[in-house]
Amino acid sequence: MAQGSTESAKAAPSRKAVYGEMARRVLLRPEATALAAALALFIIFSILSPQLFPTKLTYISFMSVAAELGIVSIGVTLLMIGGHFDLSVGAALGLSSYVAVVLMRDYAAPPILAAPAAVIAGAALGAINGALVVRFRIHSFVVTLGTMLIWRGVLIALTGGFPMTVTMPSGFKDIMSGPLLSGFRMSMFWFFLIGAAGTFLLTRTRFGNWIQARGQNEQAARNLGVPVDRVTIILFMLTSALGAVAGVIQVARFSSVDALRGEGMELQAVAVTVIGGTLLSGGYGSVIGTILGAVTFGMIQVGLVLAGAPGHFFRTLTGVIVVGAVILNTAVARRMARSKPLAGFRRSSEAADAAILAADPGVSRGKDAEGQAWPMRANSAKESAP
Amino acid sequence: MSGSLRPDGSQDERAPHGEGDVPLLRRKIEPVAPDSTPVIEAVNISKAFGATTALVDVSLKAYAGRILALLGDNGAGKSTLIKILSGVFPPDQGELRFLGQPIVFANPAQARQRGIATVFQDLAVCELLSVTRNIVLGREPQKGVGPFKWFDVKKADEMARSALHRLGVRWERGLDERGVNISGGERQSLAIARAMFFGSSLLVLDEPTSALAVRQAGRVLDHIVQARDQGQAVILITHNFRHALSVADDLTVLAQGRVAAHFRRDEIELEELTDLVARVA
Repeated sequence: MAQGSTESAKAAPSRKAVYGEMARRVLLRPEATALAAALALFIIFSILSPQLFPTKLTYISFMSVAAELGIVSIGVTLLMIGGHFDLSVGAALGLSSYVAVVLMRDYAAPPILAAPAAVIAGAALGAINGALVVRFRIHSFVVTLGTMLIWRGVLIALTGGFPMTVTMPSGFKDIMSGPLLSGFRMSMFWFFLIGAAGTFLLTRTRFGNWIQARGQNEQAARNLGVPVDRVTIILFMLTSALGAVAGVIQVARFSSVDALRGEGMELQAVAVTVIGGTLLSGGYGSVIGTILGAVTFGMIQVGLVLAGAPGHFFRTLTGVIVVGAVILNTAVARRMARSKPLAGFRRSSEAADAAILAADPGVSRGKDAEGQAWPMRANSAKESAP
Repeated sequence: MSGSLRPDGSQDERAPHGEGDVPLLRRKIEPVAPDSTPVIEAVNISKAFGATTALVDVSLKAYAGRILALLGDNGAGKSTLIKILSGVFPPDQGELRFLGQPIVFANPAQARQRGIATVFQDLAVCELLSVTRNIVLGREPQKGVGPFKWFDVKKADEMARSALHRLGVRWERGLDERGVNISGGERQSLAIARAMFFGSSLLVLDEPTSALAVRQAGRVLDHIVQARDQGQAVILITHNFRHALSVADDLTVLAQGRVAAHFRRDEIELEELTDLVARVA
């Protein structure tokens, strides 16, 4: 059997197998559904309003929606891959926006100090979430449901329920969300930058491996020495801090904060994350998917207005897409993940195997020649044979 | 029923088929020098949980290059004993000695630092991580400049490949295969390979074969033998006497929290062992 697979690995795979394998690998990506949804919606909206939708103004408009929600969603995605929820991120966005506004308005702090202070305040709120989850072993859903109400209550109390406006240097407004990218807002730049950093963190760092392991099998990760509790707290800090970054961008855009700032964003971020292919159960997902999910979300919001649809369509269509995405992600991706590479695509590298065999004299080659899938070295059973 | 543990089957002396259809091997046992120090030694360990007595005066020794099988019925105290050995909780009385020195593990991390690797049945892999990422989990190789460090994918693949090779596992499929796609036996082998590669001094395996098909169980047992032959101290917890007899050098039978019997492999046969465990349980 092993012999057969070696032969088929050497033979050039058929064209059908090449395309089949390509399709399999694309569908295996968590981003596949979000990409499909974004493309499909783009085509549908372009057909519905051919004069209005495929124009630069529309792109600027939906990317602006996508950027702010997307930055929040990237944090939520990493947290969800780590196996947790954060319902308080919208309220944390509001409360840290308040910090930025008050520092600039009442303490005349320059934005260059006020903005990082707001992000640090966000991280501190996240640390409280994380500490509660880790210390008392309560499900994060319940913990953050509580802190969501607390942060929101505090914000309402502090603002008295009224919007607070602030004046700030135009340079700061431009850097955070000005239309500097040939018409596109700077928030898009921050969105993509944070998205790239998030992708790198998740897929190319030790911490990213720990996030995924925490979400898949906490006990196994713990057994292997992964500092699971530290990972959890850092994830909550990151989530609320990114909420604060989106908050600062909104402060720069509106020059104000109000008691309801960020409300509802926590669930929109979950929707975006799920459209992006991240499993609700944690352990698996993609920041790139979330970026595509946020773009999808922005497109729905702007596209429906342009198509002249009534306002409630927005929620309904978003809901339909979320449910559809979850069905696709779980059914297709799970089935595909269990599927085997098609003929001709066995990916164990024989050259690498040979190199290691040559480098490690402790490994016998004798059995490999027999074509056994699990060759055993000559062991004591053999030695003691009469 | 045809699965032979050895490719060349002829050298197996087969016992009559029982519930676990792995051929029973007769092996010569190399005598351990009497003065060699056990990697880990439990001396008169007792442990109670409230009114329930879990262990009474239990002693055992695990030597490098030997497999100690820990046998016993459910509730005999096997799990409690290995949890004490791996630092999950301390004994009420008695002491642990690591390479002859008394030692107290405050938590599992400290036991792990001493190279005590415990492989639990269901906790061997993260299902959606690749084989490579599973093997290097917790010890990911990094490269980078100053505080900026990232995951060294190439090095990790090399580490995973040599970990599997060192145990004699030839991974037919890619190292990017995810945990869901690998079988129960492969998971155990992967966990054993991982523990050995990262220099464990004692490998504790909790029921590594209990959920496996015959053929897979045979492979896992082979890898346990392989680990032993490379100088690893192994404690194998199992319900399956046949598995225990086919690989172990020493056998300890626990019953009702006490050591009911201790044998060297050449001192006992399957029938006697079965009778004994039935009698003391």
